[in-house]
Amino acid sequence: MVDISLCVKRPSWLVDRKRMRMASNSQWLLLTAVLLYLTNQVNSQKKSTPHDLKCVTNNLKVWDCSWRALFGAGRAASYEVCIEKRSRTCYLLEKNTTIPPLLPGHYEITVHPLYEFGSSKSKFILNEKNISLIPETPEILNLSADFSTSTLHLKWNDKGSVFPHYSNVIWEIKVLHKKNMEIVKLVTYSTTLNGRDTIHHWNWTSDMPLECAIHYVGIRCYIDDPQFSGHKEWSDWSLLKNISLPPDSQTKVFPQDKVILAGSDITVCCVTQEKVLSAQIGSTHCPLIHLDGENVAIRIRNISASASSGTNVVFSVEDNIFGTVVFAGYPPDIPQKLNCETYDLKEIICTWNTGRPTSLEGPRSTSYTLFESFSGKYVRFNGDEVSANENYQLFFQILSNQEIHNFTLNAQNLLGQTESTLLVNITEKVHPRIPTSLKAKDINSTAVILSWHLPGNFTKVKLLCQIEINKTNSEHELRNVTMRGESSNYLTTVDKLNPYTIYTFRIRCSTDPFWKWSKWSNEKQCLTTEAIPSKGPDIWREWSSDGRNLIIYWKPLPINEAYGKILSYNVSYSSDEETKSLSEIPDTQHRAELQLDKNDYIISVVAKNSAGSSPPSKIASMEIPNDDLKIEQALGMGNRILLTWNYDPNMTCDYVIKWCNSSQSGPCLMDWKKVPPNSTETVIESDQFRPGVRYNFSVYGCRNQGYQLLRSVIGYVEELAPAVAPNFTVEDTSADSILVKWEEIPVEELRGFLRGYLFYFEKGERDTSKIMGLEPGRFDTKVKNITDISQKTLRIADLQGRTSYHLVLRAYTGGGMGPERSMFVVTKENSEGLIIAILIPVAVAVIIGVVTSILCYRKREWIKETFYPDIPNPENCKALQFQKSVCEGNSALKTLEMNPCTPNNVEVLETRSVALKIEDTEIISPVAERPEDRSDAEPENHVVVSYCPPVIEEELANPGAEGGGASQVIYIDVQSMYQPQAKPEGELDSDPVGGAGYKPQMHLPVTSTVDDLDADDDLDKTAGYRPQANVNTWNLVSPDSPRSTDSNSEIVSFGSPCSINSRQFLIPPKDEDSPKSSGGGWSFTNFFQNKPND
Amino acid sequence: MHFRWNNPSPLPHLEAKIQQTHSLARLLTKYAEQLLQEYVQHQGDPFGLPGFSPPRLPVADLSDPAPGHAGLPVPERLRLDAAALAALPPLLDVVRRLQGELNPRALRLLRRLEDAARQVRALGAAVEAVLAALGPSRGPRPEPAAAAIAAATASAGVFRAKLLGFRVCGLYLEWVSRPGPAGAGGPA
Repeated sequence: MVDISLCVKRPSWLVDRKRMRMASNSQWLLLTAVLLYLTNQVNSQKKSTPHDLKCVTNNLKVWDCSWRALFGAGRAASYEVCIEKRSRTCYLLEKNTTIPPLLPGHYEITVHPLYEFGSSKSKFILNEKNISLIPETPEILNLSADFSTSTLHLKWNDKGSVFPHYSNVIWEIKVLHKKNMEIVKLVTYSTTLNGRDTIHHWNWTSDMPLECAIHYVGIRCYIDDPQFSGHKEWSDWSLLKNISLPPDSQTKVFPQDKVILAGSDITVCCVTQEKVLSAQIGSTHCPLIHLDGENVAIRIRNISASASSGTNVVFSVEDNIFGTVVFAGYPPDIPQKLNCETYDLKEIICTWNTGRPTSLEGPRSTSYTLFESFSGKYVRFNGDEVSANENYQLFFQILSNQEIHNFTLNAQNLLGQTESTLLVNITEKVHPRIPTSLKAKDINSTAVILSWHLPGNFTKVKLLCQIEINKTNSEHELRNVTMRGESSNYLTTVDKLNPYTIYTFRIRCSTDPFWKWSKWSNEKQCLTTEAIPSKGPDIWREWSSDGRNLIIYWKPLPINEAYGKILSYNVSYSSDEETKSLSEIPDTQHRAELQLDKNDYIISVVAKNSAGSSPPSKIASMEIPNDDLKIEQALGMGNRILLTWNYDPNMTCDYVIKWCNSSQSGPCLMDWKKVPPNSTETVIESDQFRPGVRYNFSVYGCRNQGYQLLRSVIGYVEELAPAVAPNFTVEDTSADSILVKWEEIPVEELRGFLRGYLFYFEKGERDTSKIMGLEPGRFDTKVKNITDISQKTLRIADLQGRTSYHLVLRAYTGGGMGPERSMFVVTKENSEGLIIAILIPVAVAVIIGVVTSILCYRKREWIKETFYPDIPNPENCKALQFQKSVCEGNSALKTLEMNPCTPNNVEVLETRSVALKIEDTEIISPVAERPEDRSDAEPENHVVVSYCPPVIEEELANPGAEGGGASQVIYIDVQSMYQPQAKPEGELDSDPVGGAGYKPQMHLPVTSTVDDLDADDDLDKTAGYRPQANVNTWNLVSPDSPRSTDSNSEIVSFGSPCSINSRQFLIPPKDEDSPKSSGGGWSFTNFFQNKPND
Repeated sequence: MHFRWNNPSPLPHLEAKIQQTHSLARLLTKYAEQLLQEYVQHQGDPFGLPGFSPPRLPVADLSDPAPGHAGLPVPERLRLDAAALAALPPLLDVVRRLQGELNPRALRLLRRLEDAARQVRALGAAVEAVLAALGPSRGPRPEPAAAAIAAATASAGVFRAKLLGFRVCGLYLEWVSRPGPAGAGGPA
């Protein structure tokens, strides 16, 4: 019976592939149907007939077929097997035999036992799809191990020669470890069969060192022949091969000195017969993983980069420790900043930076190889060498005729490798070394030859060198020279130098095209030779003070003009007639004195050095006169002063500014300065200038070697205040004036341009007066600012006679105020004025007295009437007679009885209305008041004037009563019996007139308001005599009444005392005892006084 | 502790020589302590950890100074000292070379190792001089097996090399500081 179940035992991936082949699937279905049919047919045969035909193949070349037979089994039976499709082929075969592979399609297989009777033929339908392909069990040729890398190497033969055509083969390899054979790896490996036997290799690196445990490897295969449509099955596993530990290993811990990538994992094991107590990496303890026997392992995950000496892993047993060192690091970084250049075109030096450190040192450090691809040469950097920093360098010898170099720098360590490349034309990357042996040799006074040594082979390039020329007190100069490259020695000429000058040279070089300058060479100093001076000395001349000798001055030539050491000077002078020379003047002397007559001479001065004489400097002895000359002033700043002048086209030579100290006696020459003829200004600067010192500056113009004074300037570089005060004296003194005269301050003491004087004066005695200057607040000090500096006198007028004055004088300049000088002067006495002052007041007093007497005499009647009217005799008064009788006790008469309780009083009632008061110029009794008037006035404002002579007579003495009347008249305030209350204050204030009292003398216009103060004022002014103005003075009768204590009360006394029927004033008695009488009452003394209180 | 000669010195300068030797040993003791401290600093943990005490590796030609040496006669003790001091420099050189590979940037450690080898040689020469003054020597000393040690250590791994260095530095300290004629704790 055909085992149809073979068809379902396939690898899943193979099934997938089959699914893709739809045509094959349909064949399979058909094949299944056919096989079912055949099965039925076979089952229907007798048991003795062959049945269960089964065919397999392991190489696709032959099919191994077998069948079952009940009786024939065990005998050496023979069968005739016929295979029939289009033709019939029969074979005489054993029971299990091989047949050649059949082409695809259905075949009828007839199996007929030849020597079995009773048996019948068996017919089978056979198809390739019923065939199983089971490869032979593979055999491991070799299994080896690299313990250092924990790698297994497996080798086997695919026996591809037995397969008729190409086929894909899948190998499955399993790795097991420990004695219990735990699978640690199961991988598939694909190859192809190419008709030949091929040895295959497979490597596997174990996470765990191979020494830690025994490892086994097995292999099987699966042939995926695309042309075979039958069942394909895995082969059986090969026999396992194992790797055992190295036999004679002393090391107990594995791996030893392993280099791994930082951050990775590693397993470390300890192979020992003793019990491991602990394991630690560094100072960290790790859990143990038990292996076979007492062997243990630890797993280290994400290991950190190690220090230089690595990371220690230590296993401790009872009395010993075992350890290993793990070096965790990084693969080399890409070399950075790779740069190749040459110093000498003989050797290339390549430098680079390593980039990130690898944490691996010593034998594990990165090794570098510099490879040049054109020449195929390379140099290697020994990784054991320790660089002080992360910069490395390698030297590469330049080959002749090779300029372009293609460098590859390879960096490699145990963890990886990187590289960096650089293409360079080495002739463009020349960085010459420092030039050495610099020498200088003078050619003439202006040129030297420089020579130096520059190691290298520069014949193929041009050298560009830079020469630095340093001169004393001068900025350095750089000159570039280009020259053809030589082997090593070079020279060049440096010209345009100054004679007799010390130069310092140094040099540096590069190549063309420029890449880098070399370092500067050492300096070389050289003194150029002398040359004749370039120009004559700067000369000037001055006549001596006596005018007989001409003194010639000259300045030493500066070194850049002397061109050598000046040995002597030659001075000569010439006129139209003759030329004379003085003997040689040594170089230390810079003046010469000539005795000349008044002729004009041309003086010539020549400086000589070892190379020759300078051009002569000439100057005329006589000065060109200038009549139009003014002395001007100038101010400088610091130690310099600016002088200007107008351009003069006639001045063709130059301008000379000469200056000297003005106080210096003799020939005035401090120094001089020449400026070009086109100049119109110059700054004179000298360290000899001092503040406060006056200098004379003379500007000369040159014309045909003769000089003309153009400007004469006096100036200061800085003004100071005068050092002394001006001396002054008093020339004249009168009773009201003083004439002061002062002297000029000497120039040396002035220390600046005089701007004026300040003159102070004030009254004061010596030792008591002190003038504080122009200080604010000193109003008693008078100041006079004298800005006319030519003024030397001053008259001070309007003074007081016989008075001491303090005088102060001080000068001032642009630099400030000078010190002061003071003096005390007493003016003379003024006698005439005194006399006049006495006489005039006396005369005036006399005149006034006379005039007053006359006026008084002429107006005596008026005065009398006004001030001393005749007072009527009360005895003649009828009313009073009547009253008197009343007073005498006639109580029967009641007519004039005003107050039964206080007889002999006259009461005058008045409202507060001003209008009423003014209108009523008479004393109005309460009885006489009109009703309509009363309606306007408030009843409580009635003023009561009591007339009670007997009372007065009893209480007061009246010595002043000239009239000597029997009765005394006095005003009193009689408050209304009905209204004792006081009015509000506001109302009182608004009615000042209410306090004016009685004003009977004037008939004043009645106004409707009592609030018009202006009108009140007018009333006051025009009311004439108003002795009642201060009614308080009359409050004599009732001192205890409210009125007596409140002078501002609206309840006031009213009017002057007078008879009831008369308009004559009643003169109040003069009461000296009463202080109020003088204030409000009238007296003779008030006649001359405006203010009664005064 | 003062070492006291049992026998009076045969030569006047012998005592001075011994004193010089002792002073040198005392100085080297200080250096040896510094060297050991410097050494463990560069080996990583657990070398620098307190309580780290690896097994005392056997070192060819050099044994620990045994307590029983104190009972030996002075010449014999000096011979032991001389033998140890002769064995130490090659070992220190081996350690120096191993550390040069392991810690190439630890310049101070490398310099100390070089100095230690030189100083031990000087001390050994001084002891030999004292020994020679005491009597005839026993003949040429056998060559130390430092080369073999170095080779064996290199193949045994870096950890083993570290242990060897630790051991050699410890022996150096023990020998120069041990009580005895050539030790810092010595004569006295």
